[in-house]
Amino acid sequence: MISIQSVSKAFRPAGGGPPNQVLEGVSLHVPPSCLYGLIGPGAAGKSILLKMIVGLMKPDAGSITVDGVDVTQASELDLQKMRLKFGMLFQNNALFDHMTVGDNIAFPLRRLTDLGEDQIKDRVMERLSHVALTGFEGRLPAGLSGGQKKRVGVARATITKAPIVLYDEPAAGLDPVTSQKIFELLREEQRASGATVVMVSSDLDRLLTVTDRIGMMYRGRLIFDGTTHEAQTSTEPRVRQFVHGLTEGPL
Amino acid sequence: MAAQTTNPEKAAAPGAIATFLAALGGGFLSAAHTAGGMTILFAKILARTVRLRIDARELWKNLYKMAVKSLPIVVVTALFTGAIMVIQAATIVKRYGAEGLLGWGAGFGTLREIAPLLTALMISGRVGANNTAELGTMVVTEQLDALRVLAIDPIAFLIAPRFIAIVSTLFMMTLFADALALFGAAYTGQALLGVSTTTFYNGLTVGLLDFGDVASGLFKSVVFGLVMALASCHFGLATTGGAPGVGRAVNATVVTSAAGIFVLDYLVSFAIGG
Repeated sequence: MISIQSVSKAFRPAGGGPPNQVLEGVSLHVPPSCLYGLIGPGAAGKSILLKMIVGLMKPDAGSITVDGVDVTQASELDLQKMRLKFGMLFQNNALFDHMTVGDNIAFPLRRLTDLGEDQIKDRVMERLSHVALTGFEGRLPAGLSGGQKKRVGVARATITKAPIVLYDEPAAGLDPVTSQKIFELLREEQRASGATVVMVSSDLDRLLTVTDRIGMMYRGRLIFDGTTHEAQTSTEPRVRQFVHGLTEGPL
Repeated sequence: MAAQTTNPEKAAAPGAIATFLAALGGGFLSAAHTAGGMTILFAKILARTVRLRIDARELWKNLYKMAVKSLPIVVVTALFTGAIMVIQAATIVKRYGAEGLLGWGAGFGTLREIAPLLTALMISGRVGANNTAELGTMVVTEQLDALRVLAIDPIAFLIAPRFIAIVSTLFMMTLFADALALFGAAYTGQALLGVSTTTFYNGLTVGLLDFGDVASGLFKSVVFGLVMALASCHFGLATTGGAPGVGRAVNATVVTSAAGIFVLDYLVSFAIGG
């Protein structure tokens, strides 16, 4: 279970000036085996919250516990152990430039497991076929389109079958058909593995078809936390406007 | 009644002094920040290295990329350096008929100073700058964060192998440059001054030069390698601000490495007497 308690974060501009408050008193709980969708307009603090959950950034105040471990207080060694539970897709994919697609996807298995090379190869091929990239294993990331890179990132994030998976914009840059396939794939895998998933996405139409719960962030604050059905029927003006894509409203 | 006037230069003086002092203080703070960052990084690398927590595959890959691929530029630099030493000595050698001292003259400067210094500057431009650009790009594209999320220690996996590879590369390339520069000097002496390679070799080995001269240059190469490796890794890891940030980091590496190499060359020369 992921539990976030009163988390705040501000960035101080290098040249001075007032701090930029990116998160303010955010509290939320992601139950085990839940597919949690985090939505909100740009610069609402969603990606920063994901990075804090995995311990890549520390909040100025508040605590984040993952399966009972306080990420904000953990040493680098403890964080390293805790991260074995995580898979993550970054907003800009973060593929290793100098490795082929196959090596990128195989990398976590080679580094973190005792699997033989044949088994690793089979798993990589299976992942590639899931994201419709069969035959791309020998290519370098620089030779892929934005959507293809995203799919490689999804394959790498899911190959270890980690119990907690964080996706930052898994469908950005994908066409509607591939996007729907990716969401369905991620949902299927989450159901099969029982993983806890937190997903940030701007593709609300598709996101709302797969999530169990939704949290909406706005200007660094969590303004809504409820089931997907509650989000779709919410009368909170900002949630209603954002979820239904209305041009008129407070946002 | 005399009109009261104010001297604008005098009025502006305190502001100018304050600005100058602020800039000076800022410069010292920045230098202290860099030195502190490099020291902390060195401690982290050392901790992984003594516990053998470094990635052997990355180490070999970087040794190939940094050392083997630097050979052409080192060959050219060293051969011409030796030749230049002879050309510079030619006037004195001819005037005083000191052919027997040509080997000593070329060897002394080359082994103790020129070969380690020029090799360090060449490797800094080729390897140090490239290392910073690679690490900086990995930082701004979140590849280092991806490593951390995969529970992989970036210092053990990426930084320590590069650090060891840079220091080893500079040591090996300096040794190689020593030999090649003397080779270039010997044959340039023969071609331009008619000094036989035997005479040149005798000048080198007659007793005026000893192992201490070679060791002095090699010791310097290790010191230069340390500062270059630390600077390139530190500025690479500290990169912020996207592609322009990578450019700034590379620039900082080149400037810091070059300045560090010259300052340390002076200090080491002073400490070991040459």
